[in-house]
Amino acid sequence: MTASAPELLLATVTAVRDAIVKRLGVDSLNPDAKREMEMALEELNVMWKELQGEVDLLLLENTRYADAFEYSPDAYVITDLGGTVREANQAALELLGGRRDDVVARPLTDYVFDADASTVEPMLGGQPLAGPAHLRRAEAAPLAVELSVRAIPLKEKGVGGLCWLIRPAA
Amino acid sequence: MAAELDDLKGMWLDLKARVDQLAEERRHYLEFFEQSAEAYVVTDAQGTIVDANGAAVDVLQRRRRLLAGTPIAALVALERRTEFRSRLQRLVAREPGAPRRFSTVFEAPELRTEVGVSLRLIDREGVVSGVCWLLQPVQ
Repeated sequence: MTASAPELLLATVTAVRDAIVKRLGVDSLNPDAKREMEMALEELNVMWKELQGEVDLLLLENTRYADAFEYSPDAYVITDLGGTVREANQAALELLGGRRDDVVARPLTDYVFDADASTVEPMLGGQPLAGPAHLRRAEAAPLAVELSVRAIPLKEKGVGGLCWLIRPAA
Repeated sequence: MAAELDDLKGMWLDLKARVDQLAEERRHYLEFFEQSAEAYVVTDAQGTIVDANGAAVDVLQRRRRLLAGTPIAALVALERRTEFRSRLQRLVAREPGAPRRFSTVFEAPELRTEVGVSLRLIDREGVVSGVCWLLQPVQ
């Protein structure tokens, strides 16, 4: 998630609005049309400020909660319902020993040993909610972990996903 | 003028679509934070609480609305407070060997809780803007 897209839109719409204001200054404009335009512009300004406030609040809260995910001391991976990784936080990348580009879009089961597939695959179906597994890691020794999973909505509207907490076994 | 208005309308729709997308993203990350069974607190780099999830509110035993803006060190038992502040300062200063896990005691009226603390710096391109804390009551 980046702030650049809404900021760019805000800047562009502001430029168009300024162009309308400039046109309002042209003497040749019919007085009635001019008055109508001024009222429309005033209405637009109110709506604009509301939307701008909404965007600012969303960006602030998004950053806060996205930071809580990205910088959580715990390792988290978010997958779709089929178990394909959509997001991995920094602690998870460290644990899995992979770069974000390598991890995202791969099946989570790629990171567990075949012997643990019988633990992980039922978890994709929602039961059980926790279980032990061994992580297969790039350039590092296998690691015994405890996996736990819960449902989470993905960023796309109406699409469900799974949130996996991966903790080294005690 | 009509052309500008058409442009404006198109951009307005784009912006609304982007706002809707932001709202979905917010819902996604809010759900992650708020529905977690683990106790997480987000502070700024000085340790002032920005937000705490429901599980953290249970651990800290304080009203949520009173937590935001409170230095997390102020919730630590008095005799452990100096040590706690020192640990946070060392970590934020990236002092070599500064532990990212330690234990402390949080104190609320009529309740003291020993808690294992893990933390991670919110670090964007070398600038520490905050800290994410995991609080685990010691059984």
